[in-house]
Amino acid sequence: MPRYAMVIDLQRCVGCGACSIACRNENNVPEGIYWSNKITETVGTFPNVRYHYIPTLCNHCAAAPCVRGCPTRAMHKLDNGITMHDPNKCIGCKYCEFNCPYGVIYFNWEKPHRFWRSEEAAIPGGTASPKELMEKVGGQATPYFNPERTGTAATVRPKGIVEKCTFCDHRVAKKQLPYCVEACPANARIFGDLMDPNSEVSILVGKFRPFRLREELGTEPHIFYIRDYNPARYRATKGGV
Amino acid sequence: MEKEKNTPQNTISDLLNDLKLSRRCFVKATAATGAALALGTGLTPDLKALAQTGKAAGGDMGQWIASTCQGCTSWCSKEVYVVNGRAIKVHGNKRSKVNGGASCPRAHLALQQVYDPDRIKTPMKRTNPKKGRNEDPKFVAISWDEALNTIADKIMELRKNNETHKYLLMRGRYTYMRDIIYDAMTKLIGSPNNISHSAICAEAEKFGPFYTEGYWDYRQYDVLNTKYMLIWGADPLAANRQVSYYSSVWGDIVGKATIAVVEPRLSATASKADEWLPIKPGQDGALAAAISHVLLTKGMWSREFVGDFQEGKNLFVAGQEVDPETFEEKHTNGIVKFWNLELKDKTPEWAAKVTGLPLDQIVRVATDYGKAGSQSISWVGGGPVMQVRGAYASMICHCLNGITGACDNMGGTLVNNKEYTGKFPNWDDFLDEAAKKGSKMAKIDHRGRKDFPCINGGKPGSAVVTNRAADGILNADPYDIKVAIAYMNNFNFSCTQPERWNQALSKIPFLVHITTNASEFSWFADILLPDTHHLFEKWGWVKSAANGYRHVTIQQPVIKPMWEAKIDETEVPWLIAEKLAQRGFDNMLRYFKTIKDPETGKEPANEKDFALYCVKYTTQNLWDPAKYQGGDKFNGWEEFRKAGVWNSAPYPFRKRWSAMNTKTKKFEFYSETLKAALEEHAKKHNTTVDDILEVSGYQARGEIAFIPHYEEPSTLGDEKEYPLLFVDHKSRLNREGRSANCTWYQEFKDVDPGDSVWDDVAKINPLDATKLGLKSGDKIRITSPTGKLECTAKLWEGVRPGTVAKCYGQGHWVYGRVAAKVFGKEPRGGNNNEVIPAVYDRLSGSTVRHAATRVKIEKI
Repeated sequence: MPRYAMVIDLQRCVGCGACSIACRNENNVPEGIYWSNKITETVGTFPNVRYHYIPTLCNHCAAAPCVRGCPTRAMHKLDNGITMHDPNKCIGCKYCEFNCPYGVIYFNWEKPHRFWRSEEAAIPGGTASPKELMEKVGGQATPYFNPERTGTAATVRPKGIVEKCTFCDHRVAKKQLPYCVEACPANARIFGDLMDPNSEVSILVGKFRPFRLREELGTEPHIFYIRDYNPARYRATKGGV
Repeated sequence: MEKEKNTPQNTISDLLNDLKLSRRCFVKATAATGAALALGTGLTPDLKALAQTGKAAGGDMGQWIASTCQGCTSWCSKEVYVVNGRAIKVHGNKRSKVNGGASCPRAHLALQQVYDPDRIKTPMKRTNPKKGRNEDPKFVAISWDEALNTIADKIMELRKNNETHKYLLMRGRYTYMRDIIYDAMTKLIGSPNNISHSAICAEAEKFGPFYTEGYWDYRQYDVLNTKYMLIWGADPLAANRQVSYYSSVWGDIVGKATIAVVEPRLSATASKADEWLPIKPGQDGALAAAISHVLLTKGMWSREFVGDFQEGKNLFVAGQEVDPETFEEKHTNGIVKFWNLELKDKTPEWAAKVTGLPLDQIVRVATDYGKAGSQSISWVGGGPVMQVRGAYASMICHCLNGITGACDNMGGTLVNNKEYTGKFPNWDDFLDEAAKKGSKMAKIDHRGRKDFPCINGGKPGSAVVTNRAADGILNADPYDIKVAIAYMNNFNFSCTQPERWNQALSKIPFLVHITTNASEFSWFADILLPDTHHLFEKWGWVKSAANGYRHVTIQQPVIKPMWEAKIDETEVPWLIAEKLAQRGFDNMLRYFKTIKDPETGKEPANEKDFALYCVKYTTQNLWDPAKYQGGDKFNGWEEFRKAGVWNSAPYPFRKRWSAMNTKTKKFEFYSETLKAALEEHAKKHNTTVDDILEVSGYQARGEIAFIPHYEEPSTLGDEKEYPLLFVDHKSRLNREGRSANCTWYQEFKDVDPGDSVWDDVAKINPLDATKLGLKSGDKIRITSPTGKLECTAKLWEGVRPGTVAKCYGQGHWVYGRVAAKVFGKEPRGGNNNEVIPAVYDRLSGSTVRHAATRVKIEKI
């Protein structure tokens, strides 16, 4: 059985956010919920200051606190290592959200994509209401709705349950890469099977000293970060006293 | 829509038999199912979705169709994923050798644009005769027929009264189908007034490359082979040009080359560079002069490209003049004059004072840049050049490429590869007397007047002065405009001092706006026409270059155009031409009919044919094997249409050495080309070059006018009253000015370093903020001598003290219900152009946006 993981090469990452926006697109994720997200930091004082960007997503932990805490087993591990969510079993208790140390689980407090149910038009008779446009275009929940986000997690999740990144399990099942990996223009996201010693991810976690987020908590995250966002060089110096 | 495979019967069985279900879910499902069964309508969509879980994932449901994204001017070749007539995804077209499969983030926002409910569905006419910022047009829907009849009547009226020159065409976002609406239609009607937006883009960038190496266009850079990139006011990881490509290779380049970014604020690119030079706005020319000085004094110029001293000894010594006779130049002209007139005293010590940069950094950057030899790039962006004296900044920043021999060389700065698209047929035979007469009148934008030399490409009066057209219209100078058509532009948002455009547009008696959304410009229109979206609904093509290649990438309708949208550049002119022919003026229609389908020889019978044939006609050399000239080969139109993109041959390095489009054919440090252009313009106005430069606002006099040199910035506002310099910059999510209505824009706005989601922030250094008593989150008003805007304060270390950095793109008060706080009334955020004065770099006609003004900030 494979054990899927992702390597994120911070040297290649340019901080553009295409991964996160593309994920919204692929998974019909509603506003306010970020399956793919980031941590940004501005470090230093002018002029010795730099901006850093770390892309984040569900870490698909091998020892996932969200799975351990779920009362209904809605949150569960697949055999391939993906931390998966079954919306049929979710009772919306949010225990997983509280237990997750990474803040990657979100609760649907309202029916998603409220924007597209509005009946107001900016110029009556001249522009459309979102509802009217939806009726014309079709789609479910949004006009650019992706029907291929199906199979396990719902194509769009209803009010009252949580949702999070599923490593695009619906794509992986078709032997396609997660969409964020495809969408990254910098080839900064590398997906693969850690059980295969010849996979790119296996090679990269051996070649570099990767760090993982909050490793000390023992969650065994499967998102490995390599290299540095700011690859600047400087002239050799011994400093001074 | 996906097929609904579950019947209520199956679902109930599943629910009853599946022991893994939770009690709550069971209750919820059966209740709904029971009700649904009673009504016979099945499950609600939410529960349908749940019921489908467990179903095996199927194959791909749709297909990828090629088109092109014009979110910025990278003009990437893309593919759109279409499922049952719905566009649902966008990605890079791997067939392009320019961008490959890479796609920057803004491309995805196009989905929210094409399906924007705030798009105009139908033609509309204004019913409120009053025009003003606070006048609701009270648009009502009308038919295309009524709209076109009205437009045709107005044009015929001009013809009848011999006032065809009072017709104005304003162009915004275009494809190369633009010649139909922008050029042919305007000329056939009989007007000289086709005004493009180019002057508010980055025309001044081209000034340096033209007057040194004879190339008036944007450049591409051989980044894969370079050892040093010196980037001036450009942010290739965020905005223009070829963001997708540069994002895809940056991770590799940073390992091989040293990257230095000259920019007052910490940009996305500066964050991934070795050196950030946080220069004082407007002083880029000083830094470039000092770097040039260092390169020459340290003997780091290219012997191969520039030449050498006959005796071998380097006579470039600080403060000392050099005898030109001692230097033998090869592929350049005037290096010694350049030294004598400008560089000899421009030491790094002097530059440190003027630029506010540390001396050691200037010397280090200059030296390391020189060590890279010809594998170095001086990358000139909009920053240093879209300023009042920007033309010369463009020259001196770009000429570094000449000093190192990087021009047209491996690892250096390159031009566009050859491509073979054709032009539309000549329309001269269709110009009647009225048209010929009208087209010869003076233009509304004052280009070519004494104080607007606009010497683009060496020709005086050839550059558009977009922003000046507002003054021309307002003052009826040289005459009033009566009928205007504009497409995909928004000049009273995208131009500086936009209030002038509000007033000018109010004066035009009949204004038509072809647009996707009702924007600020639309609010002053008499007729709105719904436009197609360039990525999903339009026939066209554009070209771009990067990675040593040029590509020509087409746009095609991948979905049926929404509502009643029609293509701005081809369909609308055809429809107008039909109406004009019905009224006895058929020259335009007869001309359009000469653009036949190259495959069948058929004449276009309607606007849809016309739009398609225009693309087939002008791209024939690319797809027709009988007309093949180079680059990718296709076996016909259909293969080309499916591929979506044609790639050129690889870059021919060094072919242009001593074969440049300059007067001397060489890379000119002493620009005979510029001298000729300035002298021609001076002669036209019976005066001297010095006089021209004085009225145009430049400091150079005499010979210095013909060489790259430092000019002090011209900035409005007294330092005491207006303590901070205003720094404008662009967003990696801007789709020109049109993406603020996308929720994804607002949700992800903080991908611009220092910015915040769902907000429009002005970034202030904490030192300045403390002095002003401001903290992050405060609502503030930014005021300049010419205007004001309101936004939110954000304290950020990535800002040079003494400046305030704010991103362009928000501040819409129309456009849509997300972009505006209250549609038609209140803006969300503030438009940078409100505080920037309407000044120009008059040698190129460019509208200034950098180092233009100081501002003051107060809490509100």
